[in-house]
Amino acid sequence: MEDARQRDMDGTSRARQFVVYGMLGLLALLVLFPFYWLILSAFKSKEAIFAAPPQFYLRSLELGNFNEVFEQTRFFRSFFNSVFIAVLHCTLTLFLSSLAGYAFAVYPHAPGRERLFAFVLATMMIPGVVTLIPVFTILTKLQLVNTYTAMIVPGAANAFGIFWMRQSVQQHIHPDLLDAARIDGCSEFGLYWRIALPLLRPALAALGILVLIGNWNNLMWAFIVLRTDEMYTLPLMIYLLQGEMRTPYGQVMAASLLATLPLVIAFLLFQRQFIQGIAAGAIKS
Amino acid sequence: MGAKRRSLWAYRHFYLFISPFFILFAVLGLYPLVFSFVLSFARWDGLTEAHWVGLNNFVNLFGDELLREALWNTLVLGFLYVPPMLIGAFILACLLNTGWLRGRAFFRAAVFIPVITPMVVVALVFGLLYDYESGIFNYVLGLFGIAPVPWLVDEDWSKPALAILLVWRWTGYNMVLMLAGLQSISKEYYEAALLEGAGPLQRLRYITLPLMRPVFLFCGIMSLIGTVYMFDEIFVMTSGGPGASSLNIGLYLFNVSFVDFRFGYASTIAYTVAFFVFIATLFIFRFQRSEGN
Amino acid sequence: MSGVRRLFGRALAILAISNVTPYLAVAGPPYLGPGPAASTGIAGELRVDSWNIAAVGLKALLPEFSATYPNIHATIHMSGAQLQARFMLSLAAGVGAPDVTQLQFPEVARYAATGRLTDLTEVAQRYWKDFPEHVWKDCMHEGRIYAIPWDIGPCGVFYKRDIFERYGIDPGKIETWEDYLAAGQRLLQASGGKTRMFIHPTGFQDVMFEMLLRQRGGQIFDEAGRIAVNSSESLEVLQLLKRFVEAGTTANIQFWSQPFFGSFSTDTVATYPMAAWFGGFLQDYAPGTSGNWGVFPLPAFSPGGVRTSSYGGSAVVIPDQCVLKDAAWSFLEFMICRPASQLAHYQNFNLFPAMTTVYGDSFFDEPLVFYGGQAVRRFFTQNVERIPVMHHTQDWLETRLYVRQSLGKWAGRGMGDGAGFLADLEARLARRLDREIAPGSLSQAAP
Repeated sequence: MEDARQRDMDGTSRARQFVVYGMLGLLALLVLFPFYWLILSAFKSKEAIFAAPPQFYLRSLELGNFNEVFEQTRFFRSFFNSVFIAVLHCTLTLFLSSLAGYAFAVYPHAPGRERLFAFVLATMMIPGVVTLIPVFTILTKLQLVNTYTAMIVPGAANAFGIFWMRQSVQQHIHPDLLDAARIDGCSEFGLYWRIALPLLRPALAALGILVLIGNWNNLMWAFIVLRTDEMYTLPLMIYLLQGEMRTPYGQVMAASLLATLPLVIAFLLFQRQFIQGIAAGAIKS
Repeated sequence: MGAKRRSLWAYRHFYLFISPFFILFAVLGLYPLVFSFVLSFARWDGLTEAHWVGLNNFVNLFGDELLREALWNTLVLGFLYVPPMLIGAFILACLLNTGWLRGRAFFRAAVFIPVITPMVVVALVFGLLYDYESGIFNYVLGLFGIAPVPWLVDEDWSKPALAILLVWRWTGYNMVLMLAGLQSISKEYYEAALLEGAGPLQRLRYITLPLMRPVFLFCGIMSLIGTVYMFDEIFVMTSGGPGASSLNIGLYLFNVSFVDFRFGYASTIAYTVAFFVFIATLFIFRFQRSEGN
Repeated sequence: MSGVRRLFGRALAILAISNVTPYLAVAGPPYLGPGPAASTGIAGELRVDSWNIAAVGLKALLPEFSATYPNIHATIHMSGAQLQARFMLSLAAGVGAPDVTQLQFPEVARYAATGRLTDLTEVAQRYWKDFPEHVWKDCMHEGRIYAIPWDIGPCGVFYKRDIFERYGIDPGKIETWEDYLAAGQRLLQASGGKTRMFIHPTGFQDVMFEMLLRQRGGQIFDEAGRIAVNSSESLEVLQLLKRFVEAGTTANIQFWSQPFFGSFSTDTVATYPMAAWFGGFLQDYAPGTSGNWGVFPLPAFSPGGVRTSSYGGSAVVIPDQCVLKDAAWSFLEFMICRPASQLAHYQNFNLFPAMTTVYGDSFFDEPLVFYGGQAVRRFFTQNVERIPVMHHTQDWLETRLYVRQSLGKWAGRGMGDGAGFLADLEARLARRLDREIAPGSLSQAAP
């Protein structure tokens, strides 16, 4: 009896191990298969991509798709746009929300604080689609359509960001620490910049990754405000490779592979922060 | 009055620090909300003069077959993919929660990668997998002697095709949330159950599932709301077709806004949908809380 | 209530002032053409949007263009997905539209109505006689010309010679749709159910519907823009389509999908009732089938009836935001308004000339190897004058979408009562498009 229970808790039974690993392996295989297909298709010839029955391994290594991507699209320009926009948008969002979130956390007696914060939270309930048209109209009016600003600034005042940063400040920064620094003559902004921010690094990373993924993958807004090909981001560039009638699938797959790699590599390197960030995003609502 | 002003001055840093956020928020968050609300009573294409139409846009909602269809598709799609996705995420989370498991990081990474992949890429790859003649899905069906399925080109199959893609994409995400939920269940419950001689199924039935209920509910509702506003997946994969068989609210809103350029009516739809989604969510969470007590 | 109304009225006014005013649809002054001195010195970079084979057609003429206008550098983009939405967004934003772009005929009115296209009335006058009047009509809005016609889509039935020969079908004997149906049934039987007469997908029933409705002389809108779809002509077309489907002679293959292109070189489909430009797709996707194709006129609804129709076709516009209007017009004029260009587009890429004055060229009489020696070009010119006129409105694309959806649903539900379907469609269009119903409608005639 004792033995059986012990074994059950440790789960050392061979059969059970087999079942668990088997299921996990199978699921991982199913999940990863489309990526395998993406890589495979990127290196296939056009005919091989649509071969029936499908070809499960490479008969020959075709680099032509990549050549075509580099020759016929402005891939590197789009890549640069994507990086530039994502980095700036992310930085701006982190700065705005950490500064405001910090203020909400460390000045508990400021008049109107509660009401302002509740107000910010309330707007989180309203989905972004409601503001698409007005923001587009405003950008048009300001002649900012088809500029980096149009991709970087809207959405940077992120209500969730404030919520998240306020919570993190409350958790990780003790008021005594700030008071001590104040006595040492540190300015109020210095408190935020030199004391709080370094301590908030994990929280910033989590939020930053969430924002980064959202921005890097954003298709709808890019479709609306980026109007010419020198401004396209990667998702938009790839989307528009599709023709009304005919799609150069080889090119599309090659470009897709190149657009996916940076995020996947970043993910594998910073897995913990990624998962934290995404899980954090779930609290959003 | 003087005291109040003094206290405002004393907290000048607070207002200074929140002002960059709030200025931007006012211009690109608040003003648009008001603008869009007012627009919902107007007819405007963004190019020519706007006209005040009163409640006409709201009346038109009732006769809008496409909206009705989009609503229906959203519901069908939601109920097609959310249950299998949640069950899959739960099983995965349980497997990954096994104490002796090695290579947890690998498995977790593997099922999580779809979440960070650009949706355009996912949709395009699935487009290949769903191909009628050379796609893997039909190839596998063929191995079992099943006739090929016109996945993306048939009105009856476009929703199941999207549902499969959605399960693939979002299971890992929900798994992370479920895993967090599982890990927050105190070990003591299980130890007590073991002492009472409860088998694995009984522990699942009487401990894990009841305690995971809020997590299931949360994931389920978030996914359903996600289905309402979903855009990329459908835009790239089917553009809402064939016919309007995979048109959801999110894509319909986009179409009314930026294909038809009916800005006024689009605002009406956006506000109305947001209102009902909000009410429904509130209602469900209330219901859950009162039942939980 | 009136207080609320006033409040919103005021709010709207404020928003209108802050956001709308600078963008009132005031069409710019008509473009008058480059000054006489300018013509050779015109310079600048042009961006031109066009789609698949048409883009290739423009590219082919580019060296010649550059020789004539050495200082104009034009880049031709094949415009990808969501063409209309993107163009409209660019017009609305006032930025990002190409300098010259190709549009489908029915779209022109929609964009012209925004006031964001260059008024080409003055410069187009010179070419008025080169294009048929009904084609010009599709390029105009409120009496002004905003587009220059490029290609038109006179229709015929493309057929595979080997299949017809194998089963002993004589295309010359197919004179009415009745004959066509009989041939289809024979084919289906003789091939053991393998070969279908034509492709008529559930999701795109509007293509055949529109083509046949036009052939039959029916309309979706009357000249005044009122809804005229509920007519005996429409009913006749629906009943015909229903018989084709019920006889099993149609293949349910999505247009422009891989199976669709695949069907060019297999035995699954015998004929394609389509427009002239379709030949370009055949040559492009199935070069191996050369010699196996032929074309015969659309079968008539009744003996001696009209045997042609039109589907598709395109025009070229210059958005108002284009800065280099002289360069853009020079490009447009060179590529579209010259007989040599129109002929080249047709010869190389099967874009059938809208310019009727070139039809006299002996080029049209050449027998074509791809069509087993048939002079297909001449074939298509023969009936152009007889193509019935169809009235297009500003909301034509939206209309087409509703028609497509309604037809798809009708087909999905077993193609029931055609009259009921038309009444529903008519009501739906009236509601969605906010248009009146034409006095001649069957629903109006009913007591």
